[in-house]
Amino acid sequence: MKKIISLAVLLVLLGACTKNFEEINSNPYQITDESLTQDFNHVGAYFQGLLSNLQGHQVEEDLATDSFVRHFGTPTPFVSNRNNTTYYITWNSFWGRIYNSVMSPSRQVIKIAEEGGYDVFAAWAKFIQVMGLSRLTAYHGPLIYSEYGKPTTPILYDSEKTLYDSFFRVIDETQAVFAANKTYPGLKKFDASYGGDITKWIKLMNSMRLRLAIRLSKADPTLAKQQGEKAIADAGGLILTNADNFNISLYGAKMPLAVICFEWQDTRMGAGMEEFLVGLKDPRIGKYFAPAKDASLYTDHPAFPYKGIASGAYLGAKDDRQLYSEVSEDWKSVTSRRFFTAAEVHFALAEAALRGWAGAGDAKTHYEEGIKMSFQNWGAGGVDTYLADATSTPINYVDPKDSRNSYTTRSTVTVAWDETATKEEKLEKIITQKWIDALTNANEVWCDHRRTGYPKLHYVPKNDSNQDWGIIPADGFLQRMPFVDAERNSNPEGVADATTKLGGPDLISTRLYFAPAGPNFPDEP
Amino acid sequence: MMKKLYLFLLVLVTTTATIFAQVRVSGTVTDSDGEGLPGVSILQVGTTVGTTTDINGSYTLNVTNANAVLRFTFVGMKTVEQPLNGRTTVNVTMESESIGLEEVVVTALGIARERKTLTYASQQISSVEISKARDINFMSSLSGKTSGLEIKKAASGAGGSTRTVLRGSKSLQGLSEPLYVIDGVPMVNRKGGQPGMWGGWDEGDGISQINQEDIESISVLKGSNAAVLYGSQGANGVVMINTKKGKAGTTDININSGTMFENVMLYPELQYKYGAINNAKESWSTTPLSKYDDKFVKDFFQTGYNLVNSISISGGTDKTTAYFSYGNTTARGVIPTNKYNKNNITFKQSTKLFKDKVRLSSNVMLANENTENRPPNGYYLNPLTGLYFFPRERDFQSFKENYQVWNDARNMFLQNWFVADHHQSNPYWILYKEPRTDLTKRVIASATVEYDIAKGLKFQTRTSIDYAVKTNEQQHAAGSNATNVSPNGRWYYRKYDDQLLYVDGIFTYNKRFGNISFDGLLGASWQKSVYGLGVSVDNGTNALFYPNEFNFQNLPLNVQVLSTLASRAVKQGAFANLQLGFKDMVFLDLSGRNDWSSTLAGTGNESYFYPSIGLSAILNQMLPLPDLITFSKVRASYTTVANEVPFNRINPMHTVTASGGVSRNTVAPFPDAKPEMLRSLEIGTEWRFFEGRFGFDFTYYNINSQDQFISLPALAGSGYTTYYVNAGEIINKGVELTLDAEPVSTSDFRWNTTFNFARNKNIVSELWPDDPGKRVDLGSSEGYFNYIVAGGSFGDLYGYKFLRNDAGQVILDAKGAPRKTALPELIGSLDPDFTLGWNNNFSYKRFSLGFLINGIFGGNCVSQTESMLDGAGVSKRSGDDRDRGYTVIDAVSEEGGAVTQIDPEKWYRAIGDRNGILEAYVYDRTNIRLTQLALSYDINVRALNLPIKAAAVSIVGQNLFFLYKKAPYDPELTMSTGLGSQSLDNFNVPATRTLGFNIKLNF
Repeated sequence: MKKIISLAVLLVLLGACTKNFEEINSNPYQITDESLTQDFNHVGAYFQGLLSNLQGHQVEEDLATDSFVRHFGTPTPFVSNRNNTTYYITWNSFWGRIYNSVMSPSRQVIKIAEEGGYDVFAAWAKFIQVMGLSRLTAYHGPLIYSEYGKPTTPILYDSEKTLYDSFFRVIDETQAVFAANKTYPGLKKFDASYGGDITKWIKLMNSMRLRLAIRLSKADPTLAKQQGEKAIADAGGLILTNADNFNISLYGAKMPLAVICFEWQDTRMGAGMEEFLVGLKDPRIGKYFAPAKDASLYTDHPAFPYKGIASGAYLGAKDDRQLYSEVSEDWKSVTSRRFFTAAEVHFALAEAALRGWAGAGDAKTHYEEGIKMSFQNWGAGGVDTYLADATSTPINYVDPKDSRNSYTTRSTVTVAWDETATKEEKLEKIITQKWIDALTNANEVWCDHRRTGYPKLHYVPKNDSNQDWGIIPADGFLQRMPFVDAERNSNPEGVADATTKLGGPDLISTRLYFAPAGPNFPDEP
Repeated sequence: MMKKLYLFLLVLVTTTATIFAQVRVSGTVTDSDGEGLPGVSILQVGTTVGTTTDINGSYTLNVTNANAVLRFTFVGMKTVEQPLNGRTTVNVTMESESIGLEEVVVTALGIARERKTLTYASQQISSVEISKARDINFMSSLSGKTSGLEIKKAASGAGGSTRTVLRGSKSLQGLSEPLYVIDGVPMVNRKGGQPGMWGGWDEGDGISQINQEDIESISVLKGSNAAVLYGSQGANGVVMINTKKGKAGTTDININSGTMFENVMLYPELQYKYGAINNAKESWSTTPLSKYDDKFVKDFFQTGYNLVNSISISGGTDKTTAYFSYGNTTARGVIPTNKYNKNNITFKQSTKLFKDKVRLSSNVMLANENTENRPPNGYYLNPLTGLYFFPRERDFQSFKENYQVWNDARNMFLQNWFVADHHQSNPYWILYKEPRTDLTKRVIASATVEYDIAKGLKFQTRTSIDYAVKTNEQQHAAGSNATNVSPNGRWYYRKYDDQLLYVDGIFTYNKRFGNISFDGLLGASWQKSVYGLGVSVDNGTNALFYPNEFNFQNLPLNVQVLSTLASRAVKQGAFANLQLGFKDMVFLDLSGRNDWSSTLAGTGNESYFYPSIGLSAILNQMLPLPDLITFSKVRASYTTVANEVPFNRINPMHTVTASGGVSRNTVAPFPDAKPEMLRSLEIGTEWRFFEGRFGFDFTYYNINSQDQFISLPALAGSGYTTYYVNAGEIINKGVELTLDAEPVSTSDFRWNTTFNFARNKNIVSELWPDDPGKRVDLGSSEGYFNYIVAGGSFGDLYGYKFLRNDAGQVILDAKGAPRKTALPELIGSLDPDFTLGWNNNFSYKRFSLGFLINGIFGGNCVSQTESMLDGAGVSKRSGDDRDRGYTVIDAVSEEGGAVTQIDPEKWYRAIGDRNGILEAYVYDRTNIRLTQLALSYDINVRALNLPIKAAAVSIVGQNLFFLYKKAPYDPELTMSTGLGSQSLDNFNVPATRTLGFNIKLNF
């Protein structure tokens, strides 16, 4: 008995042994920094997560950007049919994705890579931050970048001008690192897009520089020209063929578009796509969308058996428009998402040529090359006939379920290039084609639309904008997304400061820096 | 079977009695009023010879020697010992212990103390009170019987979890729920998953697995005072469950059989006159039709039942006692296919060894709990959404009969429903084609060795293991709602263990030095908990390889099978407690504890100490008080408790993702975390008057929780997604008052009444001083926001309100729809102002009648259900407004002109549905209800010549009706028993009423 007691006393009183506490407090099913050093995963394993979060899902794209540019329309009357698509802000979450899933982990990766001397990985992560933020600024305008990582509030936002200066500077820096390490093999294992080919990344960097330069061509023509010419002249080259396209792997996940369309039944072809693709007799339509499942829906153009849904439509029941055109079945089997296509580069060069940037080449050549690249990329045939069509124009849209959604097209654009046309008319053609090519990758064409007014998209039939988030006139378009509530609550001084930098109230009607009102070519008569 | 067992035991008892019989003794045992006391145990001291009194209090016993000593024991009465000294007739009068002076209560670590010496509040509930309600989850039957105990029941039927809070929420991290202790040893009460706004299932908790037949009494130790000896897990109070044991010298067989029927008492108010236009899913027609089916909602629900049957056998000798019980609970819910089955086996024994110096006891409790189709809450995969939304012009019966239809294209049956909508499915498809099972197998085993080392010095050591294997599985057939389920079906499967190992060793020393009494305690404990260790998988909308095959082989490549571990911790504690008494009048209580916690490993703060002090004085022994005062006590205590942080917060690592990447941890490291600190001051007083027939117990407390371990969403600009701080100050202060009286006490008629009042005020006085605007979100969705901000309180409810002008009129937008505020604003509090419980017991001869009225006063609750029903045009309100032709409003147009009428559809679609204007769906939580009514009759077994000791039948009703209620649903039923989303109804199973009867036999 005494033995038992002594033993028990010993156990409990001397038992305060805290040696293995750290091990007990660790989760064996998490992967540790130490384990990750094997195969250099500690610098590389995060990149697929960073890359796959550059693009969004339903509420960030399908019910926002994709609706704003009329690529897709939803059949679902979300939130009593009053939501982002009808210009009443309900979801505003791309900010969270970029800061939580791109900026935050990449910041740590940069630190690890810099400490370990993995310069290429550090540069890679910094460039990915630019890719993410340059998309996010298209939503909100000012963003947190130079004060990113500051431990205390207020954390101030950078003005858009400062942001773009920083983007160009970071591209300079990261490109220099890449150029000095063209044969570096380390990225191979972690780069599903380019297989670690540094020279292709350099082409993407140049193309990004060109994309941003074009975006600024109206707001800051001098800087835009200087950066655009720099991108064109760089020895590393641009993405000019589809083989160099930058696509981001889905890493085994499903294409969000397929999930939203086929599983959730929440998205369909946009009326804008029907208006332009059917009107211009565009062969890509079958690659993008599936014919409508009810022939009575497209009696206005039986030869093109497609029917879209207007963005911001009056919707009764979700079932009403289920038989409208779904996306093409091909979307179920895609394994990557388009981020930068050769077509976009050619359209950018065509616009650069109109703007007289050195080295841009001929506008017509790039315009037609852009369309050819697009057809090739989407697997569509008949490009020559298409390029020669000088008569077909966008059609009016009819919603057989609710006439309030029907509208008359605002566009008279044709496909065939007309050298005698004005620069404005040429720009409309270029941007219209850029817009067609950009399906599922609408961020830049949303910028183009706000900047140039092209393509001439339809207005929302149901406009629920009011003082809460800003009033969009009946013949106007949403200009931006408001700063997010989390920031308004927790970083109010930062948001107040950002609003001054924005140059207008924090509303959806305030135009962003790159999209000032006014003509695209002030010098043109 | 029972009869045989009874005969066998009868023979056993009589033969043992016969063998040693030498002297026949008889007599009557009465209480102080002269009433015969049935069931009193009588034992010849030092032998196994014993018996119990019959219903009239009479007994006959053959003892072995004419000078034997008889010991009379009865619960609630002082034990009496009588030497025979040659007598053959011994009549005994037993005195009640209930006056409070000598009452012994079980306190922390299972140590019995005289109630008068306690320096803090505790309340004890007897098995009679607990079993009266016959609620499947006995915790809900404590509501109203203890002041300051707030119990919410999950709206998930049998086996569902409860949320219990004593004296308010104290921590932003944990649930602030009390520790549950069985016979002094902590048990696990870990919650499984909880539903949210978007759906989900209540995966139960641990407490429902206990067989309530085993419970002798429950002591609720309300403050952290009483719990300091358990360490931080007792910081939120302790619910001590004391189980029944065998009694020396008697053999008892108890059979209990309860049958309860359950019916929905509160349906949502719906309209059945207006259908949909153009096949819409919302019923917004304005043309009334009277022939629509108005019964299908009510017909959907069924009468549920709970059958609770148990048997217990106990007995023993002076050396060894044993207790065995078996219990079975079989239930079905009010929603078809919801079933519940629980089997419990308990075996408990205790043996004295080494000349009675050592006592070895063991206790094994086995439970097997199986729930089928526990109803979900929230929007998704909930049968109630489709049921309530169903457009009125359609034929529900055809969808009921044909919930599945043959699909030629897939060569299989698929779901038949009128719309593809993420919010709804065919209710019957969900019931029959998406079956769910929640299974728990559990063992709680403990062993105790007590050793009387010397006079007054005792050592005891206990070891216990609480081990449960839990399985949650749902098989959604192909054809289920495409938003949540892949075209080939969905398999949700979790299997995990919850395990708690506990060892302690305690020395106690009691001695009197003249006027001073000394009670010392020194001990140490070690415990290891491993929770949620197992696997989980959920393919969601990723298609299984083959339809309707639910196993690991059939999982697609992009679905991860997860190894899970929810928490793992080792905690060591060393503690001491000293109680000094002076002349049995003044008691000083000093305690201290040092903990070592693995969850703080690496911070340098893993070892922490916290002391407490208490003082009580028995005034009636110190001062000359009037005779009418029987007892008077004042008490005060000051306690500190440190609370460790949760598992794996100090240095979390990264996660491998389904695609083979690594998701980098973006939580800021927290290398200098320290434990939270709770400081409680409690002052109380207890008075009894008129020979104890009237008394009250009043407590004031002030609990200050500091250094909260707060998880904050990091600012986007900070570089992290989440970070932790030790900050903040939460104050809970309040009062608890219990009044009890026996206004009538005659030989035939007695009336006992108890009144419990509690008021708690929660103040978040500080959150994060570096960022005064910072707020913690306790669960926000769809316009419902439960934010914690500095200066606010735990239950603060935020939501969109109507935008109003200075005159309070609603402002309409250009299109005539109401506008809402730009940001969610403070609407009210989810916490009540105060709670009341009024428990009564009347006994007249052999009848007794008890009722309990519970009242919750103040606070708010929210019904997202009502919002959705309005948006869909199926609420009765929306129908009534269409009857009238307009909705009455007090509003102004954009131009400022008064508007008094609005189109109902425009109005309800704007304020209702998802993300509408929450203000319209916030209700006063105040409700008063008849919680319990029990009428029982004690059968005169002797007069009827029945071969049993006692028998009673009772009729029991629960949750019978509301005396007052403003909300359109029962605000005390909760969607989630987790931390957030409190007082929220989102397609919860409606409140039910139960009625039934119970038979109790004692052999």
